Amino acid sequence: MNKSEIFADGFWHNNTIFAQLLGMCPLLGVTTSAENGFWMGAATLLVLTGSNLVVSMVRGVIPKNVRIPSYITIIAAFVTIVGMAMNAWMHEMYLILGLFIPLIVVNCAILGRAEAFASKNSVSDALMDAIGVGLGFTFALVLLGGVRELFGQGEFFGFNVFGESYPDVLMFILPPGAFIALGFILAAINLINRSIASRAESRAQADALSKDIPATVEAQ
Amino acid sequence: MKLDKDQIRMVIALFVVAAIAAILLATTDIITREPIAAAQKAALRQALQQVLPEHANDPQNDKITLANNNVVVVIYPAKDSAGHIAGLAWEVVAPDGYSGSIRILVGVRPDGSVFAIRVTRHQETPGLGDGIVKNHAWLASFVGQNLGSRIWKVKKDGGDFDQFTGATITPRAVVKAVKGALEFFKQQKTAIFARLASAKMNHQAGGAHE
Repeated sequence: MNKSEIFADGFWHNNTIFAQLLGMCPLLGVTTSAENGFWMGAATLLVLTGSNLVVSMVRGVIPKNVRIPSYITIIAAFVTIVGMAMNAWMHEMYLILGLFIPLIVVNCAILGRAEAFASKNSVSDALMDAIGVGLGFTFALVLLGGVRELFGQGEFFGFNVFGESYPDVLMFILPPGAFIALGFILAAINLINRSIASRAESRAQADALSKDIPATVEAQ
Repeated sequence: MKLDKDQIRMVIALFVVAAIAAILLATTDIITREPIAAAQKAALRQALQQVLPEHANDPQNDKITLANNNVVVVIYPAKDSAGHIAGLAWEVVAPDGYSGSIRILVGVRPDGSVFAIRVTRHQETPGLGDGIVKNHAWLASFVGQNLGSRIWKVKKDGGDFDQFTGATITPRAVVKAVKGALEFFKQQKTAIFARLASAKMNHQAGGAHE
């Protein structure tokens, strides 16, 4: 795979949320607004980049039997560093995200990338993979957070969209709303993927036809 | 017990990984310790600003501590330019919120009435229980009230404070905690003012005269 394929795979085709349905805990927990989703995604992206880079650097050095504890230690170190930095320089957001920051350690998507990709690929490929997967995860969190904030409170990134008279729809803010909104988003993603696939198919058919049809068309 | 070569390699690998992680974490801790303390202080200053009357001092510099039933209470006094106490603030914990405990900063006037309250930390349901942060009219209903002027319960329990649609437990916990704060102040008022006076004397003895 070249770099852009690695990126596209992590961002879209194998998106942690939309394709693999992993990392549901932070997804449902913090996406009450687009902003919360964005910063949670950014924190995850940072951790993933750090862990993928280091795991890729030490591949072949770490004995196979102790690779999982080593990866977890590496990931936990990055999570703690990101948590401390947020506490120091983004204190308010740190308090809002609260427990979900330390819980990035057990986000199976991160250990999954370390084990399935970074430990088998070059450092630059692992970096590209981390950026693709991390941005894909952030995109998913912002999308779901945005939908829930928009319908739940009539706002987007804190800006009022539907006007003051909009009645807050509580359900979208509560956890059940997260599941329902996620369901609709997954349906939309599948529709998009299907139309891309069918367009590609019909183009392939048209190409195949255009090779032997011209003669008959001209005859008419 | 004898370790074979592979086992020794494992031990060394894990040791090195853990040691490097520990060094990195210690470094980050040293770098972030002061900014974190500053951020916490700034957040507290902002919260205190909202629950204390106008003041000329830094309440965090003049804080006193007092033991109350084995719990240490940190009291932040607000003083006007003449050095008179204009108000006092301290944090109370309502342990019986709907999800976890609620921390409330209570600002009290010297006469024992509420100046203002602010919730500093909670995990209540967004849209239901978080009215204790967002519902300004409800927060304002505490202002100026003292132990005698209100029945310190939510209306559902026969008191004077509103509950929210769909959320009774949260406001009930807050009302109870604020009532507890006022009772604490009533009982400890003499002790608190004695401590403030002696803290002031110490301050003057050590520093310049007024």
